[in-house]
Amino acid sequence: MAVVDVHRFAESITCHAWSPDLSMVALCPNNTEVHIYKSLSQDHWERLHVLQKHDQIVSGIDWSSKSNKIVTVSHDRNSYVWSLEGAEWVPTLVILRLNRAALCVQWSPKENKFAVGSGAKTVCICYYEQENNWWVSKLIRKRHESSVTSVAWHPNNVLLATTSTDGKCRVFSTFIKGVDTKDSKAGSPAETKFGEQILQLDLSYSWAFGVKWSPSGNTLAYVGHSSMIYFVDDVGPSPLAQSVAFRDLPLRDVLFISEKMVIGVGYDSNPMVFAADDTGIWSFIRYIGEKKAASSGSSYSSQFSEAFGKFYGSQSKSTTANDASDSRGGVHDNSITSIVPLGKGGSPKVMRFSTSALCRMSSPDNNHRNECYISTNLK
Amino acid sequence: MAGAAAFVEADNAEEIMARIETKSQKIESLLKHYKHVEALKTALDGSPPKTLDERCKSANWIVVHRAIMAIKDIEGMLNSLTAEYYDILMKYLYRGLSTGDEPTCEQCLMIHEKLTERAGLGCILRCLSDTTNTV
Repeated sequence: MAVVDVHRFAESITCHAWSPDLSMVALCPNNTEVHIYKSLSQDHWERLHVLQKHDQIVSGIDWSSKSNKIVTVSHDRNSYVWSLEGAEWVPTLVILRLNRAALCVQWSPKENKFAVGSGAKTVCICYYEQENNWWVSKLIRKRHESSVTSVAWHPNNVLLATTSTDGKCRVFSTFIKGVDTKDSKAGSPAETKFGEQILQLDLSYSWAFGVKWSPSGNTLAYVGHSSMIYFVDDVGPSPLAQSVAFRDLPLRDVLFISEKMVIGVGYDSNPMVFAADDTGIWSFIRYIGEKKAASSGSSYSSQFSEAFGKFYGSQSKSTTANDASDSRGGVHDNSITSIVPLGKGGSPKVMRFSTSALCRMSSPDNNHRNECYISTNLK
Repeated sequence: MAGAAAFVEADNAEEIMARIETKSQKIESLLKHYKHVEALKTALDGSPPKTLDERCKSANWIVVHRAIMAIKDIEGMLNSLTAEYYDILMKYLYRGLSTGDEPTCEQCLMIHEKLTERAGLGCILRCLSDTTNTV
C-alpha cells in the first residue's frame, strides 16, 4: 500500500534534504536561497529559516544526520557548511577552488568529509582540518572528461562513485591521511591513494546521472540519458553489469530502498520501481503512481511482474493536496529531479522517501510503503 | 563490459562489405518467397554500428531499406520482432525519414507510429542520444 503526502513549498524545487529527526526540510526554491521548513502538524509547515549566502542557484543540499550540519553548493562555485548555533544557522565558507559551477554534494557516511561534483570536470573532497578550524578541499582533477553530475559514497567512507556527462561512471578512492584510517583488511594499495580511479564503467552512450550504492555497497546503480538504467553487481576487479532499457522518458535520479529494489525518478514525473529477482537479473516492475505497468517487452523479462500485480492490485492512493495530476497518474506535474530517503543513513531498508520536482505544482512528497517481502509496520 | 568495448566486428571494412553482399542476396531470396519479416530481421542483424566507415553504413542501409519497403503488414511484422530489434529498427527509420524521398518517408512514418506505440518514447530517446553507434 503506497500512501502519498503532497506538500507544495514553491513553484519549483531544485533540491532538498531532511533534518536528522525528519521534522524539518531544507530546500532550494529555484533561487539563491535555502529555505528551512518545520512541520508543525500533518499539513502545516512553517518556514523557520532562510539561508542567504549564495549568489547563484543552490544546486545541492545535504543535511548530515549525526553532526546536524547542512552543506550547500551552488553555481557560484562556492560551498557553505552551516551549523546551528542557538537558533541561527551560521555559515562557514569552504573554498572549493573551482572555476565552474558546483552541481551536487553529499556527506560521507561518517560525515567527516563531503564530495562535490562540478562542471569543471573535477570532484572536490572536503574535510575538516582541526588545527586551522577550516574546511580544506582536495580536488580529483584526473579522468573526468566532462561535468560531474552526481556523486555517491560507498558505506566504507573511502570509495566514491561519480557519474558524468561523458557517459561514464567511475569509482575513486578518496583516502585522506589523517582523516581516514587504513583498514587492515582493505583492498589493493590503489584503494589507499587519494584520487586513484578504481573502476570505470563505459556502459552508457549518453549522459549519466544519479549514481547510488546499494546499502551493503555491493551494487551500483546509475542512469543514462538514453532511457537506460545500469546495475553493476560485485563492484571491484570483475564487475557484473546489466543494462535495462525501459519504455519511457529518461530518469534523473535513483534510490536503493533495499538491496534488491531501486526507485528511479525522472522526466516521466512518476517514480519507477526496478527490482532484482533471485538470479540477480534486474528489470522494471511498475510505476508507483496509478499507471498501468508497462509491458516487459523492452526490459529483459522478469517473473516478478505478476507477483507484484497481486500485491499492489489493491493499492489505494490518498493525496492530501489537490493537484491536477495529469494522465500519467503521478503527483508531480513536471520532471522529478531528486529522490531522497527519509530515515537513518546506512539502514538496509528505506521505508519512506521524498521526491522533488521542477516547475508548476512541484512538491516534495512522502511516499510510505509496505515492503512486500517482509511485513513491517508503517512508521 | 567495463572499460574498452569489445569490438566484435572485424575492423576490416572489406570484410564487412562482403558480409553485406551475402546478406543482400539472402534478403532478395527471402523477399521472393514473401518472407518479409525474415528479410527485415536478417537485414537488421549484424548491422555494423561500430564501424566508422560510411560505405559500410550506406551499404547496409540499402539492404535494410529494401526490406523495409517490402513490408506491407506492419502490425504483424512488429508482433514477430523481438525487443532487441526495436532500437536498431528505430535508428533505420530515422535514417529513412532523413532521406526526404516520399515513398520511403511514408513507409517509415507508418512503421514509426506503430513502433513508438510498442516500444515507447524510450526507444526514440535511445536513438537520438546514441551518437557513437549511428547507422
